[in-house]
Amino acid sequence: MTQLLFKHINVEGLANIDVYEKHGGYETLKKALEQKPEEILETVKASGLRGRGGAGFPTGLKWSFLAKDVFPRYLVCNADESEPGTCKDRELLLKNPHLLIEGMILCAYACRVEIGYNYIRGEFYDLCEIFEKALEEAYERGYLGKNILRSEFNLDIHTHLGAGAYICGEESALLNSLEGMRGEPRLKPPFPAVEGLYGKPTVVNNVETLCAVVPVVEGGAEAYAALGTEKSKGTKLVSVSGHVRNPGNFEVVLGTPTSEIIEMAGGMREGRKLKAFIPGGSSVPMLPAGKVDTPYDYESLQAAGSMLGSGALIVMDDSANVVKETLRIASFYMHESCGKCTPCREGTRWLHQILGEIESGRGKDENIELLQDISDNMSFKCFCPLGDAAIAPVLSGIANFREDYEELLSQAKAGAAAE
Amino acid sequence: MPKKTQTETVTLTIDGKTVTVPKGTVAVDAAKTVGIDIPVFCYHEKLGPFGCCRMCLVEVEKMPKLATACTQAVGQDMVIKTDSPKAVKGRQGVLEFTLLNHPLDCPVCDKGGECPLQDNTFEHGPDLTRTEFTRYNRDKAVPLSPVVTIDRERCIACQRCTRYSDIVEQETALVMVNRGFQNRVQTFQDRPYDTRFSGNVVDICPVGALTNTTYRFKSRIWDLDNAETLCAHCGVNCNIVVGVRSNEFMRVQAKSGENSQANDAVDDGWICDKGRFGYGFVESSNRVLKCRNGKGDTLEANDALGQAATQLKKITDEHGPQSVGFIGSPYGTNEELYLYQKLFRQQLGTNNIDFKTYRQTPGLPVEHYDVGDIETSDMVLLIASDPTEEAPVLDLRIKKSVSFFDVKLAVLNDQKTDMDKPAASSLRYNVGSEAEVLSALIEALNDKPVRGLEKTAGIAPKQIKDLAATIQGSGKVCVIYNPAALTGSASDRILELLQTIGGLPDKQCGAIPVAPGTNAVGALDMGAHPNFYPGGLALSDSEKIKTLWGDEAPLQPGLSALEMIQKAASGELKGLVVFRANPVVDFPGGPTVAEALKKLDYLVVHDMLETETTQLANLVLASNGPGYDDGTTTNIGGRVQFRKRSLVREDHPPDWVLISRMIRALDPEAPSYKNSFGVTDEISQKVPGYEAINKNAIKGMGMPRKGSACSEVQGNGAPAAEKSENGALRLRVANYLFAHDKILDASSPLSHHFKSSTVYLNAEDAKALGIETGDEVKVVSGDAEVSAEAEVSDRCNPGAALVPRVSDEQGLMALVGDPDAAVWVQIKK
Ligand SMILES: Cc1cc2nc3c(=O)[nH]c(=O)nc-3n(C[C@H](O)[C@H](O)[C@H](O)COP(=O)(O)O)c2cc1C
Ligand code: SF4
Ligand code: SF4
Ligand code: SF4
Ligand code: FES
Repeated sequence: MTQLLFKHINVEGLANIDVYEKHGGYETLKKALEQKPEEILETVKASGLRGRGGAGFPTGLKWSFLAKDVFPRYLVCNADESEPGTCKDRELLLKNPHLLIEGMILCAYACRVEIGYNYIRGEFYDLCEIFEKALEEAYERGYLGKNILRSEFNLDIHTHLGAGAYICGEESALLNSLEGMRGEPRLKPPFPAVEGLYGKPTVVNNVETLCAVVPVVEGGAEAYAALGTEKSKGTKLVSVSGHVRNPGNFEVVLGTPTSEIIEMAGGMREGRKLKAFIPGGSSVPMLPAGKVDTPYDYESLQAAGSMLGSGALIVMDDSANVVKETLRIASFYMHESCGKCTPCREGTRWLHQILGEIESGRGKDENIELLQDISDNMSFKCFCPLGDAAIAPVLSGIANFREDYEELLSQAKAGAAAE
Repeated sequence: MPKKTQTETVTLTIDGKTVTVPKGTVAVDAAKTVGIDIPVFCYHEKLGPFGCCRMCLVEVEKMPKLATACTQAVGQDMVIKTDSPKAVKGRQGVLEFTLLNHPLDCPVCDKGGECPLQDNTFEHGPDLTRTEFTRYNRDKAVPLSPVVTIDRERCIACQRCTRYSDIVEQETALVMVNRGFQNRVQTFQDRPYDTRFSGNVVDICPVGALTNTTYRFKSRIWDLDNAETLCAHCGVNCNIVVGVRSNEFMRVQAKSGENSQANDAVDDGWICDKGRFGYGFVESSNRVLKCRNGKGDTLEANDALGQAATQLKKITDEHGPQSVGFIGSPYGTNEELYLYQKLFRQQLGTNNIDFKTYRQTPGLPVEHYDVGDIETSDMVLLIASDPTEEAPVLDLRIKKSVSFFDVKLAVLNDQKTDMDKPAASSLRYNVGSEAEVLSALIEALNDKPVRGLEKTAGIAPKQIKDLAATIQGSGKVCVIYNPAALTGSASDRILELLQTIGGLPDKQCGAIPVAPGTNAVGALDMGAHPNFYPGGLALSDSEKIKTLWGDEAPLQPGLSALEMIQKAASGELKGLVVFRANPVVDFPGGPTVAEALKKLDYLVVHDMLETETTQLANLVLASNGPGYDDGTTTNIGGRVQFRKRSLVREDHPPDWVLISRMIRALDPEAPSYKNSFGVTDEISQKVPGYEAINKNAIKGMGMPRKGSACSEVQGNGAPAAEKSENGALRLRVANYLFAHDKILDASSPLSHHFKSSTVYLNAEDAKALGIETGDEVKVVSGDAEVSAEAEVSDRCNPGAALVPRVSDEQGLMALVGDPDAAVWVQIKK
């Protein structure tokens, strides 16, 4: 089992810089500083590393989009991890903050950035303290600050705590929030790489992405690209939750069958069968049990009708009712819609209202079609992807588990008739 | 926000029509050029693309998703379909969402009938709603300020208002708070929304959420007669739409893309709150409705004007033409002022004609810039002017130019103003030292050494040199100044400065004089000046004067307004007409002015409101004033526009009729005019620079008149600044937009803006005087004193006491003597 990010994750005291260094920490950085920034960038590009925050955008390519010769430019680490089911960044921050710092330094060096921010989810204030402690240690050892390891390269990293909004994980809303403005997505283009934080070129990457840069640079592009499938290179942290015996984070080589990942998490509970799974967090369509052997990688999950997303595998066994699960997710999106655009602001609430009626036995047959049509009116018509995320469980739930809806609707009819 | 004009164009197809527009144009605007109306809510051309409401969804060939036409910049060969089934369904869906929780208020909503949500629903919406849930109930009438009320149920969260506050007024006074369907518009930190420009949000709100508190539930819009006319307060002359029902005033809106077409050369589609909410004077209980004699007997208008004319004539027959005079005001129209000067020059034979108490002569040594020129300048040099208080919409234009058109703003002032914030550089000179500072700047521009100014002006030579360098390095320079705030010889120095800048190599230079009043530029143009005939003809230009005005035209210099007051006091002036001015309160001297006026044999006051001066009159002529009378005014940018009446008075003639009848009373041969444009036509023949001005030419957007050249600039250097004696401070009278006067009386919806009398003292002086913020003090000059609360601040440099004019009652002008001389005051506890 290849472990890159989690290799030492359970080593006692890894968050301490001495322990981290003892296990080879900051060695990659030392070697990297002997290369030119462009060489590091090339390595990351060639490794095939894709963003682990959700969209899976090729990381090296994103870095190369930075507006040429515009300075200052910024690096922002997205540690807002709020996607339901996702808790991998949390574990990295908790146990291995120096890996993130080293990754951020490598990224900053490759992108010629001198100011970095770590935007940390508001509820992670304890992790923020751990991270700040690690920053202090890194400054002390000369990995941060002016003339890092006696090179010409300078980098300062600041932390910023969010205020508890899912939307602030979306990169442009994150930048607004970081600037002290309301957490609402910005119009794109311009993309952050061109006009990001304070209008300057900005790299925004997920915690896991930045951590993965360390093994990529350490082992070289080829070694990294040797792992995984054609379009999905390397390893991925998967947060397994739901009806499994041992929920938790697991590092897998991309392309591992989903069923194997469920087994890593202890498999299904006694006497229960898999009914459905959401492979990539609440924002992606749910899939029926029949698709559980789908290789866990970007392209295979997409071909199966879903997405890898942030790598949160939510497992539901036959005790679950899809309408109830969808209602729960719909309540999340209603609560987290930033309210900027009309279809999402109004649609998430309307979907939730209708699902609530169905779930509580007051639904009507036409509701299914209405849910689908409302979803269609939201689909690709919202300002940012949150609106599309909100309809994913609804549409996939109806498509794959219509019987759950119909059961509740016929109960409603029976109840009405009895009255 | 649209950036500077693009020259490159692209050609594309929208619904089969070929469109060619500048590169970067968004699809909504491109469609408009070929008459295709894509519905919008959040998009506003003055705010730029935002994309939140999703109303404007269209299909773009080769794009998988529908695009928002308000954010989609058009590209070469793009094919856009607004009417494809996909686009139609997309928009229908958006409207269904928009209406989902919108209350069924239309029958009682102020916006009903002029509501984009109604219109778009009618045009693009679904027939029925599919929701069966109770609509979201929210607060129905939350005052954001005394004049703006929000109905939260009606808000569709388009963010136009919050973006307006951020982008246009640049105050961020309105913000969105909360998330999702619970988001709402709120004032920043719950402070009242009391900016100078709050009312514009009522115009741009695409639903009836933001309402004009003074108009709420007052009328249905189809019962309104809307008159496109002009604001009658400051010199910007913003374009407004006055709504009237059955000859009763209802509301003021900005003339903008919402209801017509904005006049970008003047106001960019915005007005200030004084323009919007300060209109109550048209129905004030304090109006002069009837003419009357000194005993208070009501007179028929024709009898009254006849008496006035013959009585004045009689006085000149007995005492000579120098024994009568005319004090007008910058609030009159061109026609009114033109006719008055004609009466006094032609029928009464005197040049005793004036409208102001500061020094200014007609004409500029450089071009007279239009307000729109600010945007295309490289640099704005703002001198002694406080646009926020004196010409508010100019403040918006300057901020816009700085923020979006990279215009460099340099401020030269003796007080801190809101313009310091957008300014790239800001120099604060000592009160009263402007002549010296301008002289130094002229020297620096001529690459001469700059002498030390620190002691006298509080400015280092290096600062002057840097400013000069910035001017030298800028291609197009627009100088904006307030002539009324320039003391002593600074009124000559400013002209010399303009001449100097205009003479620099490769330089375009123009100026915008921003004097107080609606029509100060027009008043000068119309010859309301003792030494100049209309069109800036100096008395020395006798040949031209004779050609235009006949051989009898008086050529003897007249008296200035202040000289007339002096001569009234000494008994040499016997008869005086005061037109829409209140010298007893507004002229330097205060009570002494009243004493002087009482000595006159015959005082005619022609005004629309009762004032301290009408109380002294032997004859009061009722003036209808703005709102009731037609006429033209010339704004600070030299643009002549038509101020149409919105209300009708059947029982009293308009002022232009009244004055022309006075002329005819003395000369039956004199013309009578069919309408106010008849007078305008005569102006075009008699006033150089106004040749092209007529009814048709100024229709809609108005037209710049040709500014007159400036008579010779006197170059006599700056006098040494006067010295303070025994710790006295130099008085600076500042302006405050919402002063409590006859126009904004106690019943005004703006009364919450009224301020009490305050004197601003520099910390250094306050310490020496032992005065702290909040102390009740007296500002004393000679026998006169004014009560004020002290505020220690850096608004002025040490050595000065700045007192804003906040009300008529304050009696501030009593402290001032000769406006040209320094006024020294003592601050006493
Ligand atoms: C509604 C929404 C929420 C998101 N939340 C997160 C998040 O919590 N963490 C994250 O890394 N990316 C999140 N993203 C994705 C980011 O916008 C962005 O794509 C990502 O941070 C880029 O990093 P990567 O290229 O390393 O994946 C979110 C996107 C959306 C639309
Ligand atoms: S889809 Fe619209 S309302 Fe929803 S989170 Fe994105 S911008 Fe906000
Ligand atoms: S109050 Fe009006 S302008 Fe402001 S967000 Fe609501 S609908 Fe838009
Ligand atoms: S800026 Fe001047 S002209 Fe414009 S609305 Fe205000 S007072 Fe009237
Ligand atoms: S008008 Fe285009 S999104 Fe609002």
